Amino acid sequence: MDTFSLLLNGLAVAAEPMNLLFALIGVILGTAVGVMPGIGPALTVALLLPVSLSFGATGSLIMFAGIYYGGMYGGAISSILLNTPGETASIMTAVEGNKMARDGRGGKALGAAAIGSFFGGSFATLGLAVVAPFMVMVALSFGPAEYFALMVLSFMTVSAAFGGSIIRGLTALFLGLAIGLVGIDKLTGQARLAFGVAELRDNISIAIVAVGLFAVGETLYIASQKHNIGEKVEAIKGSVWLTLADLKRCIKPYLRGTLLGFSFGPLPTGGAEIPTFLSYSTERKTAKGVAKEEFEGPKGAIEGVAGPEAANNASAAGTLIPLLTLGLPTSATAAIMLAGFQQYGLQPGPLLFTNNPDIVWGLVASLFIANVMLVVLNLPFVGVWVKLLMIPRPWLYAGILTFATLGIVGAEGSVFALVLLLAFGLLGFLMRRFGYPLAPVLVGTILGPLAEEQLRRGLMINRGDWTFLFTSPIALTIYAIAFAAVLGPVIWRAMQPKGANTAFAMDGD
Amino acid sequence: MATETDGAGESRFPSEPQHTTGRDLAGLAIALGLFALAILIWWDASSYPARRNYAQVGPEIFPYVVAAGLVVFGFLTVRLAILSEFPERSEMNWPPVGWIVGAVVAEITLLSIGAGFILASGALFGLSARGMGRRPVWFTILVGVCISAFLYILFRHGLGLSLRAGPLERLIDSPFRR
Repeated sequence: MDTFSLLLNGLAVAAEPMNLLFALIGVILGTAVGVMPGIGPALTVALLLPVSLSFGATGSLIMFAGIYYGGMYGGAISSILLNTPGETASIMTAVEGNKMARDGRGGKALGAAAIGSFFGGSFATLGLAVVAPFMVMVALSFGPAEYFALMVLSFMTVSAAFGGSIIRGLTALFLGLAIGLVGIDKLTGQARLAFGVAELRDNISIAIVAVGLFAVGETLYIASQKHNIGEKVEAIKGSVWLTLADLKRCIKPYLRGTLLGFSFGPLPTGGAEIPTFLSYSTERKTAKGVAKEEFEGPKGAIEGVAGPEAANNASAAGTLIPLLTLGLPTSATAAIMLAGFQQYGLQPGPLLFTNNPDIVWGLVASLFIANVMLVVLNLPFVGVWVKLLMIPRPWLYAGILTFATLGIVGAEGSVFALVLLLAFGLLGFLMRRFGYPLAPVLVGTILGPLAEEQLRRGLMINRGDWTFLFTSPIALTIYAIAFAAVLGPVIWRAMQPKGANTAFAMDGD
Repeated sequence: MATETDGAGESRFPSEPQHTTGRDLAGLAIALGLFALAILIWWDASSYPARRNYAQVGPEIFPYVVAAGLVVFGFLTVRLAILSEFPERSEMNWPPVGWIVGAVVAEITLLSIGAGFILASGALFGLSARGMGRRPVWFTILVGVCISAFLYILFRHGLGLSLRAGPLERLIDSPFRR
């Protein structure tokens, strides 16, 4: 079947009333959480991971994708009105967007952001549908050596791209690999690092690790800070609807942003940070006339909102390409979504496309629907979301903790799971405090056991001969990319002016 | 690195030791933790019974690799700590962290003595809201119990999630049973 008919089938799956409902819940939750400063899509997906077990595979994956996209939309709102980006992807939006809000053109900035998100998200999802089948064809020829190389690529890039230091990133990765070791070994039945505890023998649930590190750890980290940044919410002034003249100014930034986001999203460079940054600087450099004045003055230019917003949504779609076709997460949210797949015994990769086409194409089709829902939710109802910025922090974080433990208690059914949750929360807190990125822990925990399986299967086929790892040209190419991906960000950071580095030291969403 | 700060640096105690001596003791403690974890994994892996198979290696190979990696990065962490290359840490605000950890411990304790989900989760909500600065604590716990009761009905009876029942839960469950 060709892509088009597969996509039509997917559309039929996505249009089922229950799935539409899940998409709607996803985009509403995603936007709501994306709006709140300091809470990104990764945390939201992690929180909902255990609860969603009762929703069924297709439904909960559709919901997760909705959360991911919604988080990207919502992030723009807090960036523009509050100047505190909800996640790293919106940092560049805050620069011009907040200037526009203070200049009384906040409505226009929000409008440009919402339409840009729609534009970037829709076109990149189309790209995803076109590119994914080709990736699947390539991936079908992969054996243990290639898969092991791919996982090494994922380990290296996730560790190198997030956070300020490669040493801390790789340390976090090895912590994750250690967590992944706990439990019964799949090939021999040997219990590892269980110390006679029954709950440890059947593996530590990825939900506990994710919720502990992201939700509990983040809450502790925020609580530990004495001085909170003075937060001032700008009122929305002016209409959110763009005039024809505004649209004319935005169309080129939209196109460039989408292209940048879509081409950087699948690369393991850590999500949306680099494409949004590149998009912003492109718009700034090419600005002429009024736009140039607005970029340089205190007024704020609409192009500087339009480009990065298109880029960050396009990169969200791009991220799904390696996730779905290779099982390779390139951002923290993607890593948690991978855990979501595994929760249902699904392993993303070429086989998912042949064995569960309904799920894959239903997911892709629902992304289009989610985008339409989001632009409707964000243009006329933007005022409702702004109210969420006003929730007092004690209630907000108490609620997050309550929800986190509810999910874990409900899904695991044991009090010991809560003890583990607290332990991972404290670990996450310590890591945040000392500048360790959290995403590599998760990727290590999830991919570690898979990498081990491929390695030992390969060794079994080759009778213990380790050289099989380095004889396949595809595997060697992948190692070369891994090497470049580790060095690339180092060179990239070295080229940036000093102030820009702080943006990249944050945790990637 | 410690000298060129902006904003966040002003809130720092001037006498914070790791910046005056140039050595980061907390960083060294992290390295120690990494070594301890590596030893634990190595010790565990060395206790597996030997197996002969085509692969020539068994379940112990990956733990050895992970332990070796942890040792390598333990040493690199020591280097980071000695060179003080950890990012700036803002002043630690202990009381809220204590309240929140206490809140989770309270939930664990209440659940294991059979107080049920609503009371346990209400205590968690109340104590952590208090930790984040909302007073008085009886009020935050009351709010927590109400929210937890709502969540219990929503997730137990709406989505079929199994949540621990105590006296309060049995009271709520009774109208749902026929």
